[in-house]
Amino acid sequence: MSQLTFQEAVVAGIAEEMDRDQRVFHLGQDIGPVYNGAMHSAKGLGERFGPARIIETPISEAAMMGAGIGAALGGMRPIVQIMFAEFLGLTVTPLACDAAAMWYKSDGQTCVPLVVRVLFGAGPHRGHSEDYQAWVASVPGIKVVMPSCPRDAKGLMKAAIRDNNPVVFFEHMGIYHGSRQEVPEDDAAIPLGKADIKRQGSDVTIVATALMVQHALKAAEQLEQEGVSVEVVDPRTIVPLDRETVLRSAAKTRRLVIASETWKTSDPLADLAATVAEELAGEAPIRIARVGLQDTPRPFAIPLVRAAMPGVQTIVETVRRVMEPK
Amino acid sequence: MKSEDNLLISLYHLVAKGRELERQMTRLPGFHPGVGEEAVVVGSFFGLGEHDFIAPHYRGALLAAHMRGAELRKLVAGVLGKATSYSRGRVRGDICLPLKFNTLGMFSGVLGNPLNISTGLALSSKMQARQGVVVTSFGEGTSNLGAFHESLNLASCLSLPIVYVCQNNGYAMSTRTEYALKCASVADRAAGYGMPGVEVDGNDVVAMHQAVQAAVAQARTGGGPTLIDARTYRISGHYSADANGYQPPDERAAWLKKDPLLRIKTTLQERGILGDSQIAEIEEAASREIAAAIEEAQADPDPTLEALGPDDLYCNAEMPEGTK
Repeated sequence: MSQLTFQEAVVAGIAEEMDRDQRVFHLGQDIGPVYNGAMHSAKGLGERFGPARIIETPISEAAMMGAGIGAALGGMRPIVQIMFAEFLGLTVTPLACDAAAMWYKSDGQTCVPLVVRVLFGAGPHRGHSEDYQAWVASVPGIKVVMPSCPRDAKGLMKAAIRDNNPVVFFEHMGIYHGSRQEVPEDDAAIPLGKADIKRQGSDVTIVATALMVQHALKAAEQLEQEGVSVEVVDPRTIVPLDRETVLRSAAKTRRLVIASETWKTSDPLADLAATVAEELAGEAPIRIARVGLQDTPRPFAIPLVRAAMPGVQTIVETVRRVMEPK
Repeated sequence: MKSEDNLLISLYHLVAKGRELERQMTRLPGFHPGVGEEAVVVGSFFGLGEHDFIAPHYRGALLAAHMRGAELRKLVAGVLGKATSYSRGRVRGDICLPLKFNTLGMFSGVLGNPLNISTGLALSSKMQARQGVVVTSFGEGTSNLGAFHESLNLASCLSLPIVYVCQNNGYAMSTRTEYALKCASVADRAAGYGMPGVEVDGNDVVAMHQAVQAAVAQARTGGGPTLIDARTYRISGHYSADANGYQPPDERAAWLKKDPLLRIKTTLQERGILGDSQIAEIEEAASREIAAAIEEAQADPDPTLEALGPDDLYCNAEMPEGTK
């Protein structure tokens, strides 16, 4: 075990997989030993693996994505860093229209083992915080991973690299250089599509990813003082989404709060509200509430940013609301 | 017989077969035929090796895939969405080709994606040191896309083994090249990426073959990418039902005299390599072969709903064979 930050854990996962499999390589802008990647997202990799496997590119996201897809088709296992999720739009046609469809449309004759790394989230960067996760989550064939802590970040990165499908891996800047956590040094990958119950509870289920998990855990502590027992479910991967774990939890608590940092409109997690209603609402009443980013472009000034997105207090108040008798 | 003569005969066989393929496929709805552009296709993809990849332009894609070993009947079945196609009807086979023949097609209708993705194939070739080269072709309209700029720039920066062939047929749907490209030749754009740019008579299959092979040889020995502007003319409409009435009659008449099939045939006759009866025999055989492939594919069954595969979204296995 070692104590790692989120950033260190992601990089450790990549380094271990590059040691394990010579086909794995990393491609991106400024990821070499001079700059070590935006926010040190590739720290030490350039020095350790050299320019043949840590490949720096000019600013050309569509070509970088194409290079990753083509290299995957040619038998390599690329990790392409698109730096910020904001730039995903520049890559959407090769990724979503072509790569996502290749396994199905080729009738299983080819697949695309590709990891796409993006930074996102409200944090110290004061920009580049948009996640646009719906752009990639809405297209069948792309897996979407959004870890909330260093331990998950490493294990999920290892699983993403071993996966034979395009995986978009979201790394939240607000928790990137945050608190350290015990991270196993073993070779264990965390399977994609498997939620983790971050806190057990019996009165209400909060589903959240990334920074919102940390907010939800703080909210749960506060609510415990009020006698409310909160269960926090972290899906960890947005696609595929572990509906079973959420359904089991909601069947027990009969109250569901979905907390997202993305816009409420077309939030991929919002689909869980429909699933829970479809599967559980027929048996007995169930309370569902959602909190998310307000449906406007993201504001800039810090008080506006904080007010536009859910915080610990928003989550606490929403839980209180679903706890009220009807 | 001299080896040069053999080469001419091989090229002629393919151009003749390509002509019949494009001509007869025009009868099917929604096809994007390439009558008049066969020499670019044949010249670009003839003479490549086992480890080489191609990513052909959609116009002429069936001929290209066939040259890499794909069966005509199955390719046509793909155009018709039949059960016997390489994908059991999951993808439109006129633009998307079976990768097991090291032939990349379009998994969507988005132009430019194959340029980006074939650049990645070249990256994998370079990393695996198998000395494989990628030859990709695209229309001159696509050379206006960002994908073209980004791909060529990246390929040059990384010195990738790839040859970019612009199948410049004068028209992007109805948009004329002179309207949409403000340089004299697509080859001029190569200077911006620090790679050689070569303009070739795309209706001369021998010149095409020589130009592409020279670029392939350079790429194979670490010399990096080349851009080729292959000048040709779209005798077909943009797709089956397009009567291309927007082509000026004088322009069209002038290009018809430069027909690539006519050109190679005349060369063979003038040099006494093939006689009239041999030529007639070759062209009749090509016509029969294509007609039979279409007829058989048309009689093939539609896919059953087994091919629908609602749960077949991901590759859950180890890497399947053919992509390692």
